[in-house]
Amino acid sequence: MERRGFLKAGTAGFASLMTGTGLLSWSTRSEAATISKTFYITAGTQTMPDGVSIYVKGFSDSSADLNIPATPIICQEGDTLEITVINRLAVTHNFVIGGLKAGDAPLASTGDIAGGGSKTITYTIPTGKAGSYLFYDNKTNYNVFLGLHGGLAIMPAGKTNQMYSGSPTFKKQTFWIFNDIDPALNKAVQDGTAIPTSFTPRYFTINGLTSLPPGAPGHGDPTRDALFDTRSQLAGYLGDRTLVRMLNAGMCTHSMHVHANHMEWLTDRGSVRPQVWKKDTIQVRNKLGKIDAIYPFEAPPDAYPPVTTGHFPMHLHDEMSQTAGGGMYQFGAMTEIVFK
Amino acid sequence: MSDACYVYPDAPATPGRVTPDVLFRRGIYMNGSMSFDDGKSVTIWGFTDLAAGQGQDDGMGGGSFPSPAIRVTEGQIVHTELTVGMMWMHTIHHHGIEPSEENDGVGHFSWDVTNGTYTYQWRPSSAGTYFYHCHTNTPLHAEMGMYGGLIVDPKPDPNDPAGTRRAFANGPIYDVEAIWAADEIDPAWHNLPWYAGTCGGDVGLNNLNPKYFIISGVDGASSALTHPGVAVDMTLGQTLLARYICAGFHPQKIDFGGLTVDVVASDGRPLPAVWQTQAIEAHSAERYDCIIKPTTTGTWTVTVQFLHWRTGAVMGTARTRINVT
Repeated sequence: MERRGFLKAGTAGFASLMTGTGLLSWSTRSEAATISKTFYITAGTQTMPDGVSIYVKGFSDSSADLNIPATPIICQEGDTLEITVINRLAVTHNFVIGGLKAGDAPLASTGDIAGGGSKTITYTIPTGKAGSYLFYDNKTNYNVFLGLHGGLAIMPAGKTNQMYSGSPTFKKQTFWIFNDIDPALNKAVQDGTAIPTSFTPRYFTINGLTSLPPGAPGHGDPTRDALFDTRSQLAGYLGDRTLVRMLNAGMCTHSMHVHANHMEWLTDRGSVRPQVWKKDTIQVRNKLGKIDAIYPFEAPPDAYPPVTTGHFPMHLHDEMSQTAGGGMYQFGAMTEIVFK
Repeated sequence: MSDACYVYPDAPATPGRVTPDVLFRRGIYMNGSMSFDDGKSVTIWGFTDLAAGQGQDDGMGGGSFPSPAIRVTEGQIVHTELTVGMMWMHTIHHHGIEPSEENDGVGHFSWDVTNGTYTYQWRPSSAGTYFYHCHTNTPLHAEMGMYGGLIVDPKPDPNDPAGTRRAFANGPIYDVEAIWAADEIDPAWHNLPWYAGTCGGDVGLNNLNPKYFIISGVDGASSALTHPGVAVDMTLGQTLLARYICAGFHPQKIDFGGLTVDVVASDGRPLPAVWQTQAIEAHSAERYDCIIKPTTTGTWTVTVQFLHWRTGAVMGTARTRINVT
């Protein structure tokens, strides 16, 4: 069992993840900058809605934290990323920033980081790399499922409201990072036993949390309930167009479904789509799939009498993902959309 | 009902209720069945059309599968009245329709209807293909069959000859229509009570292992190839609008058997430009409106592959045909 840096998620570790409004904060710069960040690879347990304790790992903000997903990074073309990764565990890990488009080589990688060691990558972002990225551990093909992942947003140089040059504009932006958990895998890693050859996920998360419906312990707690997690919840007034950078760190392909508005679908697996389609469901493929889409915060078009306020869900429509432990509907990968 | 957790029973008055342009009265059934080509069958749940004399609100009968379609015209004020007995809880979510919170039919954001009637009030703004389904214990209730087609037609164009059918305002004209709701059935789920898993415990709702693959309630192994409600018979020169609804949970791929289709809309919204293709990869609850104009007589087999959400492996197929004479 990997004891080093063993932590309990869902308390101090996760609380430390909550910063500001939870949305990505960005203001334009005319000059490139160096963006420095240190991640600590830590491990511990996370309690699922049915009380089951799951062994997890994360790229954390300190050796005392356990952050799943990692605190996101936002930067712009021309910036230099200087990322140090300190491995607090006993086994070898790595840190990879995936490529922009499917099939692209990774942007950058630390290579192996031995247990107790550290490495730093320095990468200057060239023009043409604006987009959404997942960073993760690919030392094994399953480390990403354990929680070793996070989001990187690269803005076009000098832009505050476009995700690529000429894209539809937005006012806010955030990440939805999906993951699927098969406890048998996590336990095998924890115990150092044979890794299962087939996975059947039993828990489904958005930004590391599951939804907790009204009446459930923790409902309404933004550090526990994905419905209220400020990184996930979309809250806005009419016109608060919000770019959502959706990354799939998990093992299953998902069907993201929003209520109250159709989204403007901009990209699929890093490629800008030929036209912007308006969709209420968009596929987020497994194997590190990703999409970008704007939630427009327009008045729900089919309401009578017309309304401008309300609470609605975003949930995955492959409804197995809305469960926990084989039951407990409403305890899966879902968040809330609030028209203020 | 006492065995259910995290449900929100109610059947209040509809906020801002007005006299509708069109009314649909839906009950439920909880003891229907579907037979497959191998002779086996499973229990099916669904909605009934009370106005047509189907079923009662005690929920113990059977009914059609998929549930009776809802068809309205853009701009109409619609009432969908749902009546549920005290033994059950259900909702109607008009998927892709975007009404107020109270009329969205999501139990934990409004209420699960029980022991009474709730009237969902909405006014569709965009013509296209939608579907409606229960949003209570959704993995189970949708898998059990609680869904039906929902079509929004455009307002008639006064410049069109009477009887002209368009996909949407200023959209393509069609002569023949097909509604293909492709779904998968895991018999292991079809013996569960309506509240299964809501209080915890492993009832397997994370793991759908389908054995049957169907199109609009007809077994896609063989029957859907010729079933008159699924297979299309048309004459050369006619235009077909195929409304494809991915009604299952796993990803799908529909192949039109060599025909090139013009995809003109998706999820109830016209596309900015026609997309020409011979196959579409789709995912749960997505819809595609496909215009098909065969240029020769013949028979084309349309095949839907059902792909495992994790492995991508083909779990099974459902097939139907387009016959052009």
